Amino acid sequence: MDNPPCIECGLCREVCPIFEVLRREHISPRGLAILAEEGIASPVFYQCTLCRACRTLCPVDHDPDGERLRARLVARGVETEANREMIANIRQHGNPFGPLEEGEIPKRLTCC
Amino acid sequence: MNLQPLCSVLGEQRVSTSIEDRLVYARDASRMRGECLAVVWPSSPEQVAFLVEWARQEAVDLVPRGAGTGLCGGAVPQRSVVVDLSHLNAIKSVEPEGKLVHVEAGVVLGTLNRRLEPAGLFLPVIPGSHRAAAIGGLIATDAAGLRAVRYGLMGNWVQSVTLVDGSGQVRHLSGKALGDVVGREGVTGFILEAILRLAPRPRERTVTIMAFDDEAALLAQRDRWLAEPALTALEYLNRHAAALIGWEPRHHLLAEFDSDQGEIEDPGQVRDLWRDRDGLYPQLARCGHPVIEDPQLSGPGLAELLRWLDQHAIPAFGHLGLGIVHPCFAFDDGRIETLYESVAAWGGRVSGEHGIGLKKRAWVDERHREEIRRLKQIYDPHDIINRGKLS
Repeated sequence: MDNPPCIECGLCREVCPIFEVLRREHISPRGLAILAEEGIASPVFYQCTLCRACRTLCPVDHDPDGERLRARLVARGVETEANREMIANIRQHGNPFGPLEEGEIPKRLTCC
Repeated sequence: MNLQPLCSVLGEQRVSTSIEDRLVYARDASRMRGECLAVVWPSSPEQVAFLVEWARQEAVDLVPRGAGTGLCGGAVPQRSVVVDLSHLNAIKSVEPEGKLVHVEAGVVLGTLNRRLEPAGLFLPVIPGSHRAAAIGGLIATDAAGLRAVRYGLMGNWVQSVTLVDGSGQVRHLSGKALGDVVGREGVTGFILEAILRLAPRPRERTVTIMAFDDEAALLAQRDRWLAEPALTALEYLNRHAAALIGWEPRHHLLAEFDSDQGEIEDPGQVRDLWRDRDGLYPQLARCGHPVIEDPQLSGPGLAELLRWLDQHAIPAFGHLGLGIVHPCFAFDDGRIETLYESVAAWGGRVSGEHGIGLKKRAWVDERHREEIRRLKQIYDPHDIINRGKLS
């Protein structure tokens, strides 16, 4: 099924955990939808947690589709260092943290 | 444009000219597009006053923005700096005995009403965007919404406002002076704080829905319900909108009471009905009617409007208790112009609750323009704040 386009109503702002902290429109789900529509390749897409809380409130059921957007960014060479390291760790060590001894608790959390 | 003074006072993290910020702040929920030169996020009245002085020196205008949920382009910049007030979001105090709350402009209505729930109070102005809309925008547009038939407009609930005007002066307005800021869409200054009156939360809500085949019968029922003292909402849905959302294709009225006289008494069912009602516009937008209008009429003019919408198969809903109707159109539908020309002929107002913004300037009368010019002379003589809006 087609993903209904964002109608920019802004209802998603108040359920987004990233917006709740930063309170900047460009990282709100509406902001990211506008940037995606404009074809902007920006590292800000990595700030989305991919939690889809926005979708629970979205009146048109727009999906932020963060995974596909990030895949496109990676293909264009737009990637954060943290994301690059996390993916490399998963490929090399089978986890996002890097080399770990048996039972060792990760000391560093890589994320986007 | 020298942004360095702003970076020094607000901090570099609170000033942006990034392409991402300039793009997303160039529009609001109206989906009109303007040009944003920069975005700033002040966190105090002193910082806003500094911004105003800076803007005067730079000869640039400042556009106040709350949640960006406005539908007339009131927060759309026109080669302007956008001032996002989202960081001014403190609920400073609640006085349950006096039924008062002191809030900053960026407080979101839904958040405020959740906070007030344990005290059995609420701010009863409930527009469709109540989950996201900010208090500053509600005051600036004199918002109406679902329960205005009982509780009136936002202005009824504002006791005082703290404003930074176009000279950088902090003003505390109350009484008659509130008319210079409520419903003025930010052209007289930045609304930064307000003391609001609150209402007791009703103990029960019940709802009755009725369907009609013609407007005359629907309007007769409207008049009967308007005489009911327990009425708290009176909403309308025409047959074209009903068909699009999967309801029986007839005209509908939905009446809510804070008594047991409604037919639907189950709180869960009532909650679900209002959730569906909140989703009406987005559903119509999804069906190809994203442009929402808000004429307000009464008496014979209202009957004319409902008939005209029906004859032209235009989906519409609205707060019929107040005569505010929301016809929904496709982009660039030429009938929007015809609608507003007709509204003037029928003796109505072009905006019942969304405001004028950029979108409806063409339909504003000369008396209104003169009033805005008068207020600008008093509050913003250098025309720094929300230039070109409303007139």
